[in-house]
Amino acid sequence: MKWGLLTIAAALLLYPFILTGPFYWDIGVAFLLAAISASAWNIVGGYAGQVSVGHSMFFGVGAYMPLLFFSLWKLPPVAGVPAAILLSLALAVVIGMPTFRLQGHYFSMATIAVAELIRIFVGTWDLVGAAIGLQGPAVGRGWWDLTFRSELPYYYMFLGVLAVLLYLTFEVQRSRFGYYLRSIKADERAARSLGVPVRWTKLKALMLSAAFTSVAGSLYSLKTGFIDPDSGFGILVSVQLLIVAALGGAGTLFGPLVGALVLVPLQTATNTWFGASGSGLTYILYGGIIILLARFEPGGLHELYHRISAQLLRR
Amino acid sequence: MLLSAQGIAKVFGNFRAVSGVNLSVEEGEIVGLIGPNGAGKSTFFNCIAGDMSPSEGRIVFAGADLTHATAEAHARVGIGRTFQVPATFEDMTILDNVLVGAFLRHPHRGDALATALEIVEFTGLAEQRNQRARSLGTPGRKRLEIARVLATGPRLMLLDEVLAGLNPTELRAGIDLLRRVHTRGITLVIVEHIMEVIMTLAERVLVFNQGRVIAQGKPSDVIRDEAVIEAYLGRGHRKYRP
Repeated sequence: MKWGLLTIAAALLLYPFILTGPFYWDIGVAFLLAAISASAWNIVGGYAGQVSVGHSMFFGVGAYMPLLFFSLWKLPPVAGVPAAILLSLALAVVIGMPTFRLQGHYFSMATIAVAELIRIFVGTWDLVGAAIGLQGPAVGRGWWDLTFRSELPYYYMFLGVLAVLLYLTFEVQRSRFGYYLRSIKADERAARSLGVPVRWTKLKALMLSAAFTSVAGSLYSLKTGFIDPDSGFGILVSVQLLIVAALGGAGTLFGPLVGALVLVPLQTATNTWFGASGSGLTYILYGGIIILLARFEPGGLHELYHRISAQLLRR
Repeated sequence: MLLSAQGIAKVFGNFRAVSGVNLSVEEGEIVGLIGPNGAGKSTFFNCIAGDMSPSEGRIVFAGADLTHATAEAHARVGIGRTFQVPATFEDMTILDNVLVGAFLRHPHRGDALATALEIVEFTGLAEQRNQRARSLGTPGRKRLEIARVLATGPRLMLLDEVLAGLNPTELRAGIDLLRRVHTRGITLVIVEHIMEVIMTLAERVLVFNQGRVIAQGKPSDVIRDEAVIEAYLGRGHRKYRP
């Protein structure tokens, strides 16, 4: 375990020096962003089993707020990050409080509905650029604007956030909170009978998840310097978080990383092969992965690996 | 008095599943609840476990009114329960299942782990503690349910057919485990169909039929009660007596 961790850390730290050039660095940054967002989703969707299909609302808030701070007050975009986190936390409470009273799919349905409502609303609201969206500073006024020509600073910035998130998730996993999350996922009624404060635990998980998804959104807009309703609040954003985590193994520490490791290069490859003519291909790819996971391996690649290694050990 | 449930009724639409049931349990007692299928035992049991609120009546535990309290609140004050169909956390290990219970009284992992390890040892699950719960058979799952509740540090345990579906050897081991649980100072209320369990363990029995308590007393007296025999065998049972 210790050596495995060190190898992963070394590989991530040295990646830009092994595969050099903007093309590979861009893939590296996309991988880290997918891993961060999916790890954030994983806290509530994976560990607690409360499948959100509307996490784009937190991603979008995170992405919009820095650029809104810039466009309204010419402040460095990064100044909007704490405000985005606070707004995402408030949104999590508003959604979680009523829906976590219920069991089953109500939470999933509520998240889709709210995310879509926000997307439509943002798309018609002039203050946030309506359908056109918002732009960040074209040229950095100083280092605090975080506009770098190279992908490299972004790579290490994103890597730092991923490291913090994974460490936090690791600590959560070992703590009472983590055990409570897993028990809720397994059997809510039984968890309640053992004194688990089910509603409050789910809400805490959603808030933690929302905060980090918001940070992921902020990282995205800080890097691209642009955001519009679809790339911030679109349903594809939510589905991507879910699929990356589910593909690698929802409810496991490194599942989202594995999912991102498979999906991001795959997306880059399909984009390269088919170009603009294959713009709908991402939906087909996601649909295909959902069907394959649901039919053959709901536990994702993590479960598949454990099953195969157990079979090999038995031989 | 540890538990007092007075005038408990539960109504679903026009149907009164439980009507005017009184139960008082002293600390350290073992009380059995028996009755034919559909007699209202489980509904009453779910009311005192906090799984559902009674439509009428009042439930007091150790001086605290729990009539409309949640299942979580029941666990916090010291009422633990098992489920008729074992509700173990399938993908978690046996030790982790017990840890969830232990965290109720011990927020820090180290303390909770020490309690959980003692409990898995006590319940005879120590050897399998790192296996997933799904790998256990029925007797193991029933044992794990008891272990998990024990880890919450209950004063009263409500056991819902916890020994059903076991073979005679497993049944004797189960009865022995419950006896040892009782010697830890835990009061037991047992819903059970298996008369061997009731006759061996219970000091007092309440017999349910059609939502009401039709008899109560010592197990040896209750099984001779005409109303009880009639509830189980039907009115015409005398015709077939040798």
